[in-house]
Amino acid sequence: MNKRFLRMSVVRWAAPLLTLIAAITSGALFGVQLVVLTLAAAALLLIIFLLWSSVQALAGESELTFEEAFSFGARSAEEEQKRAVLRALKDLEYERSVGKISEEDYHEYAARYRAEAKRLIQNLNEHLAEQRQQVERELERRLAKASGTPAPVSAEPESTLGSARGPEETPEIEPKEPEKSQPSGLACRQCQVQNELDARFCKACGKSLLEAEESAS
Amino acid sequence: MWQSLPELGTGIVYAILLAAAYTFAVALAAGRGRPRLLQAARYGAYSTSGLVLFAVLLLSYAFVSHDFRIRYVAHYSDRRMSTAYLLTALWGGQDGSLLWWSLLLSGYVAACVAWLKGRYRELQPYVIATLMVIVAFFAVIMLFAANPFETSIAGARPDGEGLNPLLQNYWMIIHPPSLYMGFVGCSVPFAFCVAALVTRRLDNEWVIAVRKWMLFAFLFLSIGNVLGMRWAYEELGWGGYWAWDPVENAACLPWFTAAAYVHSTMIQERRPMLRVWNVFLICLTFFLTIFGTFLTRAGIITSVHSFAQSSIGTYFVYFMGLILGTSLGLMVWRLPELKSKGQIEAVASREAMFVANNWALLGGMTFILVSTMYPKISELWGESATVGPPHFNRWMGPIGLVIFALMGMAPLFGWRKTSGQSIKKAFRAPLIAAGVTVALHLALGKYLGYPFLVARDAFYPGVVGVILQKVGSTLPGITIALCGFNVAVIVQEFVRGVNARRAAADKRREPESGLLSLFRLVEKNRRRYGGYIVHLGIVSMFVGFTGTAWNIDRETAMVPGDHYRIGEYDLTYEGSRRCPGNPKCSPEEQADIEKMMIFADLKVTRAGKEMGYVHPAKFIYQSSPDGPTTEVAMLTTLHEDLYTVVGQIDPQSKRATFQLHVNPLVSWIWMGLLILMSGCIVSLFPELSLAEAGAWSYLRASAGVAAGTGFAVWMAMTASTAYSHTRPPKAPPSAHLASLPPTPQLPVSGLGTAGVVGLGLGSVVAFGRRRKDDAKSPRD
Repeated sequence: MNKRFLRMSVVRWAAPLLTLIAAITSGALFGVQLVVLTLAAAALLLIIFLLWSSVQALAGESELTFEEAFSFGARSAEEEQKRAVLRALKDLEYERSVGKISEEDYHEYAARYRAEAKRLIQNLNEHLAEQRQQVERELERRLAKASGTPAPVSAEPESTLGSARGPEETPEIEPKEPEKSQPSGLACRQCQVQNELDARFCKACGKSLLEAEESAS
Repeated sequence: MWQSLPELGTGIVYAILLAAAYTFAVALAAGRGRPRLLQAARYGAYSTSGLVLFAVLLLSYAFVSHDFRIRYVAHYSDRRMSTAYLLTALWGGQDGSLLWWSLLLSGYVAACVAWLKGRYRELQPYVIATLMVIVAFFAVIMLFAANPFETSIAGARPDGEGLNPLLQNYWMIIHPPSLYMGFVGCSVPFAFCVAALVTRRLDNEWVIAVRKWMLFAFLFLSIGNVLGMRWAYEELGWGGYWAWDPVENAACLPWFTAAAYVHSTMIQERRPMLRVWNVFLICLTFFLTIFGTFLTRAGIITSVHSFAQSSIGTYFVYFMGLILGTSLGLMVWRLPELKSKGQIEAVASREAMFVANNWALLGGMTFILVSTMYPKISELWGESATVGPPHFNRWMGPIGLVIFALMGMAPLFGWRKTSGQSIKKAFRAPLIAAGVTVALHLALGKYLGYPFLVARDAFYPGVVGVILQKVGSTLPGITIALCGFNVAVIVQEFVRGVNARRAAADKRREPESGLLSLFRLVEKNRRRYGGYIVHLGIVSMFVGFTGTAWNIDRETAMVPGDHYRIGEYDLTYEGSRRCPGNPKCSPEEQADIEKMMIFADLKVTRAGKEMGYVHPAKFIYQSSPDGPTTEVAMLTTLHEDLYTVVGQIDPQSKRATFQLHVNPLVSWIWMGLLILMSGCIVSLFPELSLAEAGAWSYLRASAGVAAGTGFAVWMAMTASTAYSHTRPPKAPPSAHLASLPPTPQLPVSGLGTAGVVGLGLGSVVAFGRRRKDDAKSPRD
């Protein structure tokens, strides 16, 4: 896999470079006509290669590339929506900071957007949970292999899963109803930034707010 | 059929059609539940693009090897032309420009397919399929109506006819490709729109996917239009830059709808509104690009741009019918899903302002469209009306100002609803600025030569005429006041942003300096502040447009030694000379074998200060001895242009007629374009951070942006050497050589092509970010 990837990248960079060198050399030696011809020849080769690849893919003979496999799993629509909602939230913050939106409206819309963002993040997480488990299993197996010890975990992978998933990596967000228009919030212990009441991590420094809550209570 | 180059070329065009059809079929199959075929479709799209590139290279080869068997080559080139112009001839005529158009389209196809790599999997098959239909359409036209590889019936000629001298101009090399880039760029958003409609994925997904593509197309539409103005200004020699020629109008129509879309999309991204409207705008923009091409190519309305009459109009009509049918059909089919789920809550909101601005832009577009088509429409009832520039100027002035005013006001409103208090606060400074501008203009305008009120003639009889006349005479003053208002709005937005940032930073106890704050503010909200910079560019252009109100136009005849006064300039006619031949000609002029040049030497002084020389001329090209071309000579300052054209020169008495113009503030238009370009680049800069994307992606993105910025800077720098290729440097008769530095002989055309290619490649590189750049942290 690695070798193939390396070979592909070499071809990808070397072929245009060689074409360019050939074109320039022939141009310097024999004039502009040959530059055009060299480029045309290179284009023709490229077309043949591409058509061949296309027919191969059509016949189902080509291997599944990593990118392709990856894109089967990704739910791009939700990912994009999540980004849009987060951007809207950012814009809202901005508008509040320059005083273009009233405090009341700000809280209403911020709550709405945050609820939407949470829903999307949760969907994404749920969707990827299975794959994540698989990846973690594979990772454990490889790590064990690399360290030379026999892999005890591979026998019963399920038991190790819980410990492998820290709260940092997969924040499990319960679909709470967003609190409406409460100006007071949760202050971060580390940087004193005011966060929303349902926040789990500080929006400025990323420190977990749950610990703070727990130790406070 | 492959035995000669023309036949091979025709064969390749067939191959383009076949490859496009194949890709279309495979893409559809991939969309109908066989996702693994998508890879085959992607390769198919690449190879279709490759085939178009191959065809263009073949035609270039035919040009550089003077293959006069091919009719197109024989018609648009000759053996004397330099390589740069030989390559320009690729898009100089009808057939070749369609091939060139296909090349740009396939460039977009390749870039879009590469960019799509792993994303929008559901939309991808239909995006590719739609793009392939467009490629196939151009292949069909080339095959059946305008084959660039067609051979002459009479066989190969010893020499070709040469390129029209009007086209042998630096701006001509560069303005059609930029405009095509913009026109063709509208295909990608259209393809996404169709894909979204077909797949029912009508959420924000496709809107977000389309955003940068549309902005990119908008950028190039602006560049193409303004460069076209510049070409008209410097080459056509009638003293202005925009004549409301049908083809100019056709070129600016999609600009209006693209500008409208760029704004209305922001509403849909935030709220589930205006979905039908956005779909409509995208389809309309694409339709207008094809319609514009149709107007130019089919020659149904006479214009300076018209290509030779040919049968391709029919094909365009069918294609336009297909576009209209498809988009309207899809829209009606998906209407239930497109229904708005939100509504505008208050008139004092940004949404309402955007919608108003959309209507104004669309209104302006419709006005231009109907007026342009009116001569043709009126034929229906047997009348043959002509619509001239005065009509456009009278009406577009007020319409433009409404758009301009709304552009200034929109940023002052917040989303959804804005309280009276904050409106008052937001409007205070800009209104004061506008008031101060009016006061200054009233007080100082007369002395500077820019009076507030400019008398106009009544154009129409009756009440409408009187109203238009009154409104028209106040327009310059109002425009300048609105410019003040707009600039104040933009400055205020920046200041408020910086202040808010600094306040937040102080709160965190990490104080930021003003400059750093400004930089970070723009960096974090590139789209917003890029947009404001674009607005600033538009303001600068409006300043330039207003300048026409204070134009001075004169005509005179002089014999050597005569003086003439126009505006603040004193012109002394020192005589004419014929190059090559006259000892006063520069070595370059002496060496020119393509043409005979007759220069009139005018010495310019302004308020007693010597400003140098201008040399308006007549060129007589050997390839077209009957049609001498008029060569404009200008003296350009930020304040105004002195624009001189020579009419007739009597060879014996050297008596010459001149058209002289003083055109105030024209440079502001070109400056506005540069500002607009930098604003667009700020908005388009790929969003990624070093830590997340890895150094490599960052490098690629920066390379893309550097190429884009380099292009902009290069354009700015070469503006002064615009003449260097077609004209010898404006060297005054030997004694004055020292007073004016000779213009450097840049290989501008080569640079031009390199610049456009560089920008194209750069943007491909910049857009082609890897997936991981997208998996960004929520905090971004």
